[in-house]
Amino acid sequence: MEIANRYELGIVDIRNIIKMLDDVYGVDFKNHALTFFKRRVESFIKYHSFKDADGFIQKIEKDKDFFETFLKDICVETTEMFRDPSIWRLLKEETLPKNILTSPNFKIWLPEVTSGEELYSLAIILKKLKLLDNVQIIGSSISEHHLDRIRSGIFDPKKIETNDANYSRIFSEGQLSDYYTLKDDKAYWDVSLIESIKLTKQNIIFDDYPKGTKLILFRNQMIYYNQILQERFMKIMYNSLVPGGHLLIGNNERIEYWNSEKDYVLVSDSESIYKKRLS
Amino acid sequence: MYKALVIGGSAGSFQVITRILNSLPKNFPLPVLLSLHRLKHVRSGFVEALSIKSGIEVIEPFDKDSIKPGKAYLAPSNYHMYVELNKKIALSTEEPVNHSRPSIDLTFETAAQAYRDKLIGIILSGANRDGAYGLKKLKQLGGLAIVQDPNECQVKTMTEASLKLTTVDHIFTTQQIINFLQGLK
Repeated sequence: MEIANRYELGIVDIRNIIKMLDDVYGVDFKNHALTFFKRRVESFIKYHSFKDADGFIQKIEKDKDFFETFLKDICVETTEMFRDPSIWRLLKEETLPKNILTSPNFKIWLPEVTSGEELYSLAIILKKLKLLDNVQIIGSSISEHHLDRIRSGIFDPKKIETNDANYSRIFSEGQLSDYYTLKDDKAYWDVSLIESIKLTKQNIIFDDYPKGTKLILFRNQMIYYNQILQERFMKIMYNSLVPGGHLLIGNNERIEYWNSEKDYVLVSDSESIYKKRLS
Repeated sequence: MYKALVIGGSAGSFQVITRILNSLPKNFPLPVLLSLHRLKHVRSGFVEALSIKSGIEVIEPFDKDSIKPGKAYLAPSNYHMYVELNKKIALSTEEPVNHSRPSIDLTFETAAQAYRDKLIGIILSGANRDGAYGLKKLKQLGGLAIVQDPNECQVKTMTEASLKLTTVDHIFTTQQIINFLQGLK
């Protein structure tokens, strides 16, 4: 992405866009971090060559397919497979085997899967641990397009080099290419990895969510929320987890105003892993 | 009168940054925002290395941390670091800009929007063009633009790209940068 001569929206434009999306599609972006939302919409408007905010609004309010494209582009794609390899090593060597083997009906939830790298990373580790059949995984997204893409297995071949390197930082045997194929300049995951994973479209305010989960992976998504939505989300995840269940958030995320000590035990500071207290 | 300092650097900037940080007084009056290109799969070590002799505390901020004077904020590996209008840090995993995450352009641009003419920006040695657009934006919004003297840079691509895009206020050697910063009230 080059940012030279980037189109800039005014605050009134942003308010109009947020209101229109809520009025027409019932999708409420007002509690996303404002500068984040502004920047995403600006690059979307520039990419689609709209003259201004009004042109964008007129198009999107009449065109549901175009709105779906917008939803997909607003979601920040996961950067790579096994982002932060040390976390995935810890999951593989300790957190996953230790907890799954002692607990039946192990339910895992990824509240926003976007481009799917966290989901496929998790599935590959569980497959290698021979634990994929012992768990029930739910991946949700606000974007149907993202879910379709994950189902198809297609991913960006430009990421292969980074993905492969991260894999070798976690596993000494095998290679990541055991799990993907290249065909006509395109790259596809082995979709059998996700055949038992439940992929669901999620409302943006998550008024309905899975209950009784034992592990939630929600890394680097709350950085795009404001404080109101962060708090709401922390509550949802707390309610979703069973006592003793684990929560993973991003390395540089910290919910300051959230009383984490009362609700969770910090399992790993460096990897941001929390465990819900038993009582 | 200035409220913040933002520094961008890439290849060949580590020693310069270290010298600058080491020379800053404990009571340096501004926050320092550091957007430096670094290995993305190595999270630890860098902030520790910069901290050893630094006059001010160097931290890798958490998302939404408040920006305070006398502290240096280093963009964490594999995140963009933005400044919000309310002077808080925002982190992001959005796509790389100029093949870089953190992108110097994005840190400079958002810092300039938050601090306007109360911002000092310095571009150091580096091997790509990241930072040139950000410094231009900073200058347009009234900030003070400084570029390390390309003759002194280990790699001059970044400083030269910045000079091509912007008429800067100063072209300084490392020692001149230090003298300038030490003179800030």
